[in-house]
Amino acid sequence: MAQKEYDTYVLTDLDAVPDERQNVEIIIRDLNPEDRRTKYRSFFAKANVSKDKSKYSDVLWIRLGRGQLQDEPWSIEVLEEVNKFA
Amino acid sequence: MSYNCPKDNRVFMKLLEESGDMITIDQEVDWDMEMGAITRKVCEEQAPSPYFKKIKDYPGFESLGAPMATYRRLAIAMGMDADSSIPDIAAEYVKRTKEEPIDPVTIDKKDAPCKDNILLGDDANLFHLPGPMVHGGDGGRYLATWHFVVTKDPDTQDINWGMYRMMVFDEKTMVGPVLPFSDMGKMFHGKYAPKNEPMPFAAVLSADPMSSLASCAPSPIPEDKFTGQLMGEPVELVQCETCDLMVPATAEIIIEGEVIPGIQIEEAPFGEYTGYRTSPRDPRTVYRIKAITYRNNPIMMISNMGMPVDEGQLLRSFSLGLEMHKLLESQGIPITGVYMLPESTHHLVVVGVKRCYTGVATQIGNLIYGSKLSPWFHLTIVVDEDTDIYSKDAVIHALSTKCHPIKDIHKYENQPGTPLNPFASPAERKTSTGSKALFDCTFPLDWPTSDLPIRVSFDNVYPQEIQDKVNANWEKFGYK
Repeated sequence: MAQKEYDTYVLTDLDAVPDERQNVEIIIRDLNPEDRRTKYRSFFAKANVSKDKSKYSDVLWIRLGRGQLQDEPWSIEVLEEVNKFA
Repeated sequence: MSYNCPKDNRVFMKLLEESGDMITIDQEVDWDMEMGAITRKVCEEQAPSPYFKKIKDYPGFESLGAPMATYRRLAIAMGMDADSSIPDIAAEYVKRTKEEPIDPVTIDKKDAPCKDNILLGDDANLFHLPGPMVHGGDGGRYLATWHFVVTKDPDTQDINWGMYRMMVFDEKTMVGPVLPFSDMGKMFHGKYAPKNEPMPFAAVLSADPMSSLASCAPSPIPEDKFTGQLMGEPVELVQCETCDLMVPATAEIIIEGEVIPGIQIEEAPFGEYTGYRTSPRDPRTVYRIKAITYRNNPIMMISNMGMPVDEGQLLRSFSLGLEMHKLLESQGIPITGVYMLPESTHHLVVVGVKRCYTGVATQIGNLIYGSKLSPWFHLTIVVDEDTDIYSKDAVIHALSTKCHPIKDIHKYENQPGTPLNPFASPAERKTSTGSKALFDCTFPLDWPTSDLPIRVSFDNVYPQEIQDKVNANWEKFGYK
């Protein structure tokens, strides 16, 4: 399966985010979906996230609150999508 | 009396093409930033609207960028000559909006173009529409950039049309800011949310130009009647599929659903009308959709907000300034005109006034900063009848020479303001607190006439016969 790419917005100080987080709920955007029409689709996900870009198979790009893209990505393992409107 | 405004978006586009104010782009363009980039460059160069015939991934859909980002296109939308001057367009707006409001009429669904295609249930999917990624760095795709949201007050049944940006979150969800002092904010936060009731809404994407103008004008008249006032004839409405709201029948796309209480989702950042990405990503109001209806071969309009001038800046400046004009006139203030500069991102207004009594400038400041219009602007320059309010050079000259830096600058603190102001502190943004200033560029009335400075200009310090002689010989001297 091709490597997936996502991004997320970090609204706090990046240094204050733990290097490793397990089973956290975050909002991510899908940057390379199969159906290109759904690019940038957002969803709540339960995921494992690491600042080490090689820890998990998928890429997580980081943006700050006003959209500033950070040079180095993190890595992510999406465990499940969380539906807030079920 | 009809003013011959185009009642349909497509008629408007034909007029733009005929006047040279629209360019057709046949090559395929990408919804992912390319359409936005073209539209941005068009705004910054005040170029003709781009009509995109082919959108990547979305066969059958077309798009028009920057539909009303120039006074020429505004004049065409108002049924006037494209070359009309700004004062003439302004005078026409004031004249029309002093007439009686005109009630809308309801037409049958089978006669409404916006019902050509109806998507309900799972078929109502926001990714079926070519929502553009407007700017690099935006928090998502913004389907609604040239649109308005229709809502109804549950107590008074008053209708509101307002432009509230909406970011696509997923197939069924949009998110956007609904500020508490806005008309829709007062309905949702003040009436629906406290009862934990969802508020029905209809987002009207790409309506006729006068409905769009009405929706961004701060008029106290309900926008469906105000549109009739601007057109001189009723706007034709049709009922939504999933609620009792009414929408313009010729609009290109309608999205119906509910604004949901009790939950907020992160939205933004977004390139905003101030020319900055100011407001950070934050939890904001949630819209869940139930239906999408659209015309055959729908044409989605895109406004690209950023550095001036885009249609949000131009139309908001235009209508805000002229609503101030009517307010001041209604209070008997001896104004000679009001002009809000679109380049100021509708933050700076110039008020011309006759020098007839002391304190008239501060009276103007108190009135307009005390009005419903006030959250959207914060700088007011009052000039006398010697200054052409439409001339930036003349206004800068008056500000630089007639405004005493201590005595003539008046500050207003703890006012309502938008959190989008780039200069606002984080604390001010959280509470929508604003600050304002008034620049009095009129010479005090208590100065003896002999002490008044004399403006040294061609038209003021030479006898008429000398001016006439110089003008008559101007080209003979070799000047153009």
